[in-house]
Amino acid sequence: MQAIVQCKNLTHYYGKRCIYENLNFEIPKGRILGLLGKNGTGKTTTINILNGYLKPRSGECLMFGENSAKLSPETKQKVGLLIEGHVQYPFMNIAEIEKYYSAFYPKWKKEAYWDLMKLLKVDPKQKLSQMSCGQKSQVALGLILAQDAELLILDDFSMGLDPGYRVLFVDFLSEYARAEEKTVFVTSHIIQDMERLIDDCMIMDYGRIILQMPVKDLLENFRRYRFKSKGISAFDHLKDLYHPVSIKGQTEVYSMLSKSEVAKLLSQSGINDIEIKEEKLTLEEAFIGLTGKY
Amino acid sequence: MEKALLYKEWKKTRIFSISIALVAIVLSAYIMLKAGRSFRIAGMEHLWDVIVNRKQFIFKELKYFPIAAGLCIGFAQYFPEIVQKRIKLSLHLPLNENKVVMLMHTYGMGVLLCVFFIQMLAFTIFSSIYFPFEFMLNSLQTIAPWYLAGFVTYMFVAMICLEPVWNRRGINSLLAIGTIYLFLLSGTPAAYEHTMCLFLIVSLWIFPFGLLSIKRFKEGKQG
Repeated sequence: MQAIVQCKNLTHYYGKRCIYENLNFEIPKGRILGLLGKNGTGKTTTINILNGYLKPRSGECLMFGENSAKLSPETKQKVGLLIEGHVQYPFMNIAEIEKYYSAFYPKWKKEAYWDLMKLLKVDPKQKLSQMSCGQKSQVALGLILAQDAELLILDDFSMGLDPGYRVLFVDFLSEYARAEEKTVFVTSHIIQDMERLIDDCMIMDYGRIILQMPVKDLLENFRRYRFKSKGISAFDHLKDLYHPVSIKGQTEVYSMLSKSEVAKLLSQSGINDIEIKEEKLTLEEAFIGLTGKY
Repeated sequence: MEKALLYKEWKKTRIFSISIALVAIVLSAYIMLKAGRSFRIAGMEHLWDVIVNRKQFIFKELKYFPIAAGLCIGFAQYFPEIVQKRIKLSLHLPLNENKVVMLMHTYGMGVLLCVFFIQMLAFTIFSSIYFPFEFMLNSLQTIAPWYLAGFVTYMFVAMICLEPVWNRRGINSLLAIGTIYLFLLSGTPAAYEHTMCLFLIVSLWIFPFGLLSIKRFKEGKQG
């Protein structure tokens, strides 16, 4: 599949603190890719590098084949950007801001914007400064939909939104992106929203990408296994078993392996004759399984 | 696209732009009425003595207005851009980034230029009615550095606001205070007559400083 964004050997430090070294990933065309990671793992850093607002210490990001630090105006026209906090101009009203942005994008589809505004039931002359965070998020979303960009980058879109607006945002974006075959790169703290929206997930831990794969494949293959054992020292070192935790003899591990493969692995570690309970996971649980609770 | 960007700047700063224009009108009217009152009460002879022999300048109330106007329009324009890093929205527009910043500068400088030009024209007409050509020229040479200081203030405010690192903002502020102080060193009429060219060069040299701040912002400098 053709990649719209390619990040090659990205290395970045804040002072002496390493965010990541030699990070490589691609955003395939026509997919909705979610970047998941705990606070401080470098999600916003990655978005900033992608948009040319941060120069990595080494490596490069190519967007539509151009270095993201020096995007041409033609390429910028193809990229819709939602900044963390749904930042827009508070001194404009919703009609003025639509008119303002329409001057920059030749493929501007004002219906996409106004359809969303109708749902808000707000006056076209209402200023953004007098709108709630949820309403502002819809304005910001409407603007990038009207831009008809090929690639949409959304940084923490669920920030500050109540459940109703989060659902509205996800449904509208998901329907639009799939109908128009847009490529979307999105981050959010709320993984439940991501599960409903994204095709592929990329899970970051401190300094590295743990995995990038379709959500469907992850949820089909990644499992939690519970069994009784005296501690975790016998299998703590096994790389196929993620984040084993034992509380009062009740042990849980996460793995991509099947139940029989896990049983075999545990048996090789000297843990025999145990009853293993296999559990399917939500994306949020899979995320915790891969990154750990702590 | 350029028109849209200028429209955005107008929407953002219109209250401040109109206020600066109104203050300019009120201040100009006050200075001219005060001078007219002096003509009537003290008489022209006394006024001439004050101006020629005691080197007093009758438009001295104007001195800090251009700097205040530059500060005001600069903050009105660039402070909202740094709140929530809103400048990212402008830099993401499908325009060359330097062009975006230059257009923003052009708007602010344009507002100042309009206000200063109208004010200068009013003083020139007023001077030409009551005073000989030499006095009028002398007045213009006296107030020109003050107006230049207004433009320089504006450019420094842009540079300081757009700068992403606080320490650097502090250094830039000190540089700004030092540079602007140069323009106000002497209150003697036409004191800068022979150094105006140098002052013009300094002003032009400062013009692209905002681009340096944007370059540093784009590199992700923090602090």
